[in-house]
Amino acid sequence: MTDAAAPPRPSGANRYVGLFARYGIVWVTVALFVLLAITTDGFLTGPNLRNVLDQQATLLIAASVATLTMIAGGFDVSISAVAVAAPLVALRVENATGSVALALLAGCAFGLVVGTANGSIVAFARINSFITTLATSFIVFGIGYVVSERSIMRPSSDSFRDIARTRFAELTTATWISLAVVLMAWITLAATRFGRHVYATGGNVEAARLAGVRTRQVVVAVFALSGLAAGLAGVVAASRTISATPSDDFSFVFGVIAAIVVGGTSIAGGTGAVWRTLLGAFFIAFMVNGFNLHQIDPIWQRIIQGLVILVAVATDAWSRARRA
Amino acid sequence: MADPQPGEPAHIDEPAHIELRAVSKRFGTTQAVDRADISIRRGCIHALVGENGAGKSTVGKIIVGVHTADSGSMIVNGRPCRFRSPRQAFTSGITAIAQELALVPDRSVADNVFLGVESTRCGFVARNDTVQRFEALVERTGIPIDPAARVGSLSVADQQRVEILRAAARRSEFVIMDEPSARLSAQERDQLHRLVRSLRDQKITVLFISHFLDEVLELADDITVMRDGRVVRSTKPSSETTGSLVEAMIGRKLEGNFPPKPPPPEPSQSPVLRVRDLIPAGSAGHPASAATPLMAGLDLDVLPGEIVGIAGLVGSGRTEFVRCVYGADRPVAGSVQVAGGRAGRFRPRESISAGLGLIPESRKDQGLLMERSLRENVGLPHLRRVTRAGLVTRRSERELVSASAARAGVRGGGLETPVRLLSGGNQQKSLFARWTAPGLRVLIADEPTRGVDVGSKRSIYDLIAAAATDGLAVLLVSSELEELVGLCHRVLVMRDGRFVAEFIHPDLDETQILRHAFGEEAAVGQNS
Repeated sequence: MTDAAAPPRPSGANRYVGLFARYGIVWVTVALFVLLAITTDGFLTGPNLRNVLDQQATLLIAASVATLTMIAGGFDVSISAVAVAAPLVALRVENATGSVALALLAGCAFGLVVGTANGSIVAFARINSFITTLATSFIVFGIGYVVSERSIMRPSSDSFRDIARTRFAELTTATWISLAVVLMAWITLAATRFGRHVYATGGNVEAARLAGVRTRQVVVAVFALSGLAAGLAGVVAASRTISATPSDDFSFVFGVIAAIVVGGTSIAGGTGAVWRTLLGAFFIAFMVNGFNLHQIDPIWQRIIQGLVILVAVATDAWSRARRA
Repeated sequence: MADPQPGEPAHIDEPAHIELRAVSKRFGTTQAVDRADISIRRGCIHALVGENGAGKSTVGKIIVGVHTADSGSMIVNGRPCRFRSPRQAFTSGITAIAQELALVPDRSVADNVFLGVESTRCGFVARNDTVQRFEALVERTGIPIDPAARVGSLSVADQQRVEILRAAARRSEFVIMDEPSARLSAQERDQLHRLVRSLRDQKITVLFISHFLDEVLELADDITVMRDGRVVRSTKPSSETTGSLVEAMIGRKLEGNFPPKPPPPEPSQSPVLRVRDLIPAGSAGHPASAATPLMAGLDLDVLPGEIVGIAGLVGSGRTEFVRCVYGADRPVAGSVQVAGGRAGRFRPRESISAGLGLIPESRKDQGLLMERSLRENVGLPHLRRVTRAGLVTRRSERELVSASAARAGVRGGGLETPVRLLSGGNQQKSLFARWTAPGLRVLIADEPTRGVDVGSKRSIYDLIAAAATDGLAVLLVSSELEELVGLCHRVLVMRDGRFVAEFIHPDLDETQILRHAFGEEAAVGQNS
């Protein structure tokens, strides 16, 4: 209080509230894990936890990269469409060439192209990213129907399922791929120059530009990466089910966004982290797993999930307002 | 009060329409208005003049209830009054026409004029009645304008007329005009003056806030001069000249607390910054002005170790000029050359590698990432230097930033403190810290002491002097003349996008600078 230049220091209870709000997702995820481990038979078992990891793989692939997009101030809803259409493109290539590697590559390339288009429209035509990706979603869903000729597609050989279902050290390749993607996204965001530029662009685009950040390239890049990851997620999902269907189902991106915001990454951009998304995804996954083990009606599960997301976003808004 | 003078309105003995008594208003550390007493007579044009930041606009905003005074009282028509919102003032017949007009651009002129007071029949807008009302209004005010025109398609002058019509439609008795002529052409100004006089003829009181002293002397019945939030004097145009007003606006300020000036640069050196024929585009905030490149090509050379000040009123093109030098906005034409390197038009990124650094006008909107740490804010343009094998090494980054922050004297938090928690002065110093890295040749600072407490001001002056001592060329934009006089080797005055005068230390004089900024060379010629 003596130094006029000193910042206001949160004191006493206020500081703990601040710390709780800041690392809240860590505490609640740990608390939920411990609670389920104690109360629920069958939760803390190898097969169950491996199963949770395997089921979360596709979501984690898409969400960890989409975290970068969100921090850069963008909002990508085309993830659903890309995750639906990319495996159809991949399977078309697989059916034609018989090569699983080419199929995987084609699926990812498709996502990259869509993402780059999204980013370019957002950065250069300056159209709101939600609207842009909503519009391109319809186009991409349409492409999915065209590529698949409106029918379910299956791989020509069984080796397509090896993308996701091979096991190393008891974990599926789907899990390994997702962990690798999470790690890459994490390092890129936290430790590279590009990652810093992502934070700067989302935090204050004008200040970033004046500090020498090529903000438009950053925007194009995060959307391109998000498209690439969505394509990969789609192919992995198709490999798990050994099929792909065209549909215009938007629900995948809802899970992705839920994981990101429950983790504590701000939808306003500028703050957040990949580890947050990882925890957000597992918090939701543990919750669902716990419900299932307790055989709670899926309808109630949905309602509770919705409430949890609301609480997460409200906490973010509340802690932001407190600072202002 | 003296005898009525020729040209005075006849209703001189009427009581004050609005009277402010000892009104004060504080924003953070700035005393914007300090015990101001202003009496505004009914049916007069009352001008309020002063330097940038003298408190004129704040007075207007207190009257209409945008701001609430911290202390003091306001008497309207003989009764104490205090408005909590512009809407409340509106219903009492008081309207403000702000610097930034508040119209709905996508609606028609008539819709805007009657917004909130529409003629309705059974809840529907009555079109015929609206047309009649509009015609009556045009007749009463003598402002011809197409009621069906879309407001967004009108010129600034016409939009202003729409605002005036809107005030008239509500039978306002008191109209506040804040810098109404700032964005108008000479011809439009004349029309505006006629309009203001016609308002007076209709017994409407006008509070006219303006930078243009000629205009004020010609138009006003009363003039109040403000300086540093205080009323210097209330006076009559007949007893003032532009010179006497300028003097009153500057006054004898407290002796500024400045570091000794670094030795003036050796004139034989080659300039480190060379600007040629630069034609700036409009600033980012005013895209409309991009269409009117009223600026001529600007030339400027700055020597190493030289501090060059740029003076001028808000809107004179100072900020636009330095932003274009840095490449924050792309100039229409011209070139910038740093230390004999490539001459051209640069983007910020290229400017930085050439050795330019900009401390922008608004640290919050253009300078800092408020949610991020001091480390990230200071390090942002220099990450390449601390990157090894593609990864930013946290340790080298911390070393770089802590050295810079120490040199700039940033206090009030550690390297990981979000800058939003720092005081205004320390936030500004963290921007200086950003540009203390080696390799910098030219530092551009736009209003570096705005909203900064007195102690930090002195530190910032020290930083500017130290930069020059280290051989940097410094370009300093400031509205505070004493700052320019106290720090600079040379001051250029800008008006209407041109350099109109140059003063070299030790012949720096606040009065002379301000006269040129206001466009009073004639008066200067007579006096000197």
